[in-house]
Amino acid sequence: MLQLRRTLALLRGETGNQRARTGSTFPFLNSTDASSGLVLQSQSTDVYQNLALEDWIDAHVDLQQRGILLLWRNRPAVVIGRHQNPWSECNLPAMREMGIALARRRSGGGTVFHDHGNLNMTFFASKKAYDRKRNLKVVTEALRRLRPNLDIQATDRFDILLKGHYKISGTASRLSRKSSYHHCTLLYSADRSALSTVLRPSCPGIQSNATPSVPSPVANLIDHAPSLALEELLEALVQQYNTEFGFSSACTLVDPSDESAFPGVGTMATELRSWDWTFGRTPKFRVETLLELRDEQPPARCSAQLQVEVKAGQVESCRLDVPASWIPLRLSGQLSDVLVGERFCPHRAAAAVAAMLRSERGQFHSRLHNLCEAVLAVMG
Amino acid sequence: MAAYALLRSMSSSFPSVLPLLSRSGSLSPAPLAITPFFRRTLASSSRFSAALKFTDKHEWVRVEDDGVGTVGISNFAQEALGDVVYCGLPEVGTELVQQDEFGALESVKAASELYSPLTGEVVEVNSLLADNPGLVNKSCYKDGWLMKMTIAKPAELDSLMDEAAYERYIRSIED
Repeated sequence: MLQLRRTLALLRGETGNQRARTGSTFPFLNSTDASSGLVLQSQSTDVYQNLALEDWIDAHVDLQQRGILLLWRNRPAVVIGRHQNPWSECNLPAMREMGIALARRRSGGGTVFHDHGNLNMTFFASKKAYDRKRNLKVVTEALRRLRPNLDIQATDRFDILLKGHYKISGTASRLSRKSSYHHCTLLYSADRSALSTVLRPSCPGIQSNATPSVPSPVANLIDHAPSLALEELLEALVQQYNTEFGFSSACTLVDPSDESAFPGVGTMATELRSWDWTFGRTPKFRVETLLELRDEQPPARCSAQLQVEVKAGQVESCRLDVPASWIPLRLSGQLSDVLVGERFCPHRAAAAVAAMLRSERGQFHSRLHNLCEAVLAVMG
Repeated sequence: MAAYALLRSMSSSFPSVLPLLSRSGSLSPAPLAITPFFRRTLASSSRFSAALKFTDKHEWVRVEDDGVGTVGISNFAQEALGDVVYCGLPEVGTELVQQDEFGALESVKAASELYSPLTGEVVEVNSLLADNPGLVNKSCYKDGWLMKMTIAKPAELDSLMDEAAYERYIRSIED
């Protein structure tokens, strides 16, 4: 406990005169000019809290002379890169059904699936010391020591491949004022079925300049090294981190929701949870798709074209081309108008069209209802 | 009017005139009345005569005639970034305080945060970058500009480095 409090005080830069702390076992207290390291493990499985912790460390810890490795896992979540489009990267309706969260991180890169079987590692360093290759060497060397028979290689895209083919790790990073963080995933025993279900587009026909993901076949370490325990893996990674960087840091547990240890972290997590950050930061995009409309009594069908421009997650313009023989132009026009200015979100849109549906009680009610459903389905 | 005739003849032979005009910081009272004309013609012929000021985060700002500041990143920064694949820029109307994070440039290297060189309001964002983010690499001082903002506190410009000071700064961090 005393050790943890000291660690956290050090992180906040409240060290004062370090030499006055006699008898401390922390390496950076004993060394005068050498760089020092710290290994932290998050106790939280909340993706927003963990992402907020990363931002907190980056903003508040002096990394000019220090390196930090943060180990963390999340309960099921999809994490998209800074400039990605969630509607094109993941299946939002499926995620809602499965209770899988969506988070947008501040680093670049592509979309990944997190769950308890995925281990995240964040390497914090100064901008000068930023070296993804070296960080990945920590991971590949640790794995090679644990299981020398495994074919593990880092690529020049900073992926880690198993057997030259299966992606077990992806990388992303962020550079800020003076510091950097490089984080990567490591698929240990993730739910691959959930992964492939959620890493699909929510709707077809999206045109966007958002940064795309590069899909890859994946594998879990556990399937190729069945006797490998997670604890063993964690220990090996910590040891290899210390070896690679010349540190001798033990692993300290941290609670990213602890406001006294990390003042302001709660506000950061709140921002990461917000709709404005997660969806509102999506680069402007356009959806062009065909809607298949149908009647049951008597059976009839019709195709309609939908064109929507979405800016900052909101409908900027909407054009619905529904044949006048199917439904009066005034009704499809009204629907388009009602959606402009609303969030590109099925719940918000449903609320917006509800009044319109209520007031149209005539012969076109059911076709209008069907049209609304078809449009809402496009919104994920 | 003789002065006016003089102006017109000068404006037709810019290359020789430009250095002279940009060096003259303070003009005597009489020509001051016609100074705006000089500056407008200068700007339309060559943007590079307007001085760039630099931040220690490698952003530059150039004050245009209309008092608006154009902001971009330096050659040092674009080289360090590598090929830019996406420019995350603010919405027009965003109010920024000096040193506020205002966006990020994504390259294969990382997402790199951008910091506002001044306090002001975003009035324009470079729309060419949406389809051509590589302009930041190819033409960081010209076509690859990022945004334009009002200059709410002109005194902040004094806290920025001029080109010579920035060059010295780069040399010092490269060591």
